[in-house]
Amino acid sequence: MLLKTKNLMKAFGGLKAIDKVDFELPAGEIRGIIGPNGSGKSTFFNLVSGVYDPDPGSYIEFDGHDITNEPPHKIGALGLSRTFQLLRLYQDMSVINNVMSGYHTRVKYKFLDAVIGRKKIWDQEKEIKDEMMELLSFVGLADYAELNASELSGGQRRLLVLARAIAMKPKLLMLDEPAAGLSPVNVDNLMKIIMQLKDKYGLTLIIIEHILKVVMDTCNTVTVLDHGQKIAEGTPNQVKDDNAVIEAYLGKKMNDEEMRKALAV
Amino acid sequence: MEKFKNIIREYPFLGFIIAYLILLSVPSIFFTDLYQSHLASLIFINIIVAAGLNIVKGYCGQVTVGHVGLYAVGSYTAGCMFMYLGSDLWVTLPAAIIVTGLFGIAFGIPSFRLEGPYLALATLGGGEAIRIFIENGAFFNSTYGISSISQPVIFGVPFDTPDKYYYISMPVMLIAVYFSYSILKSSVGRAFMSVREDPISAAASGIDIKKYKILAFILSAMFAGAAGAVYAHLPPGYIHPNNYTVIEMVTFLAMVVFGGLGHIWGGIIGAIIITIVYDITRPLYEYQLFIFGLTIVLTILFMPKGIGGFIDKIFIDKRFKKKKVEEGK
Repeated sequence: MLLKTKNLMKAFGGLKAIDKVDFELPAGEIRGIIGPNGSGKSTFFNLVSGVYDPDPGSYIEFDGHDITNEPPHKIGALGLSRTFQLLRLYQDMSVINNVMSGYHTRVKYKFLDAVIGRKKIWDQEKEIKDEMMELLSFVGLADYAELNASELSGGQRRLLVLARAIAMKPKLLMLDEPAAGLSPVNVDNLMKIIMQLKDKYGLTLIIIEHILKVVMDTCNTVTVLDHGQKIAEGTPNQVKDDNAVIEAYLGKKMNDEEMRKALAV
Repeated sequence: MEKFKNIIREYPFLGFIIAYLILLSVPSIFFTDLYQSHLASLIFINIIVAAGLNIVKGYCGQVTVGHVGLYAVGSYTAGCMFMYLGSDLWVTLPAAIIVTGLFGIAFGIPSFRLEGPYLALATLGGGEAIRIFIENGAFFNSTYGISSISQPVIFGVPFDTPDKYYYISMPVMLIAVYFSYSILKSSVGRAFMSVREDPISAAASGIDIKKYKILAFILSAMFAGAAGAVYAHLPPGYIHPNNYTVIEMVTFLAMVVFGGLGHIWGGIIGAIIITIVYDITRPLYEYQLFIFGLTIVLTILFMPKGIGGFIDKIFIDKRFKKKKVEEGK
């Protein structure tokens, strides 16, 4: 198992954002996580990537390491990369610097070499830049390399965030609503790029997405969360017909008695 | 020309050696009196401080208003070592760098929890505390200041006049700028910038935020310490607590902001211009603070990235447009 959580819990005050979630993800899989708003999908990402500390009793394992209480940068260094729902681009940095800072964990030279400015640093920096330019042209942003990230359009920003997350050559890539706010054509284009990157770098993917077409078409298995609990897991088709899932999204079917009670209150 | 550019890009220190040779010949061509040499040394000292301040404020985005305190630590380390041990610049300079670096840690620790204006207040307090501590400490000669600090002697030649001291301050400045250049151009500089732009996202990329914040503070403190030591030994070798007030801090900030926050040459451009303007406006002493405050406000309003960023932007836009036009054909 590449990623494993056991009894994962997180409460904000009295609200149980994540409630005893057991999650297992084998390497090479594309996993979708769906659920209504506020069901704990992003909290799950934040717990796994170390942005939040899980409550006592939880256990998270990534690639054989216990990462339950590790800080985010250590988890990142182990090869777990993620994107954010609100992008969190480096607005005031050039596009190429955005991507190159994603390379950070793979930089080989030491700090002192950098201070002295030895030639091998400049050679390596050039290598990094070439590799990152290649990545940028793969996602179609090579022309914009020198511009500030804040000058890109919404769709381009989503691509840039993706490129930055890939730059560290992660084992597991967690995408938090990668296609939010994109037009249908752009969504198809983005998913095509994501699939190509997956094959190229041998990634394992977890995707949170509200566009069900994306989830149904690309994911091998889907996990459904509601009120912080895992209510269903299986292939997209199994999940689609699951009663608990339909209930979470559309509400429960009431009989006449219940309906009368609800209206009276 | 293109080939020459590439060589410089691959061996940056060659560029600095060329700069050294040019600066060596500047006094004999342009300077007519000792005061100009003195002013040049002051510019070099300010460049060192500004280059350091640019690391912590421009690149790492940590608002520090106590930098002048670190500069004072550097000066007084050198001054006290001279006063009690009779040390020379060659001893006091490294000592000042190390001691000030240690003080930098103390200034950096609040940045783990504080941000923006709150951090500014904490560091302002730190800087002022250092000055007041010096002012009231008999060990530091309190308000008398430390006077006639020695100038270095090389092969029996004393560098005790402003025109000679130029040849001491200039290489120190070049070495400092070279270090700042190579640090900021490497992955360390990029890590600083990503901490500034978005710490959460930086951590997700595997960047240790606390480590880089404290590193930025230590590095910039070391620059301030080096500048302080060079300033202490500047002929006539006199330091006084009044040289390290908030007014100086505003001047340093004006340099970095005006030159371009987060621009690799920003602090340097700013230091040159502001030091000269500061000197020209000396007769208008009462209005100086007003002028620099206004400079900061106007720059932030109309040229948020300072002169450096402004010029860069023009070139980048031009290149981008050119590329688009070529594609259009």
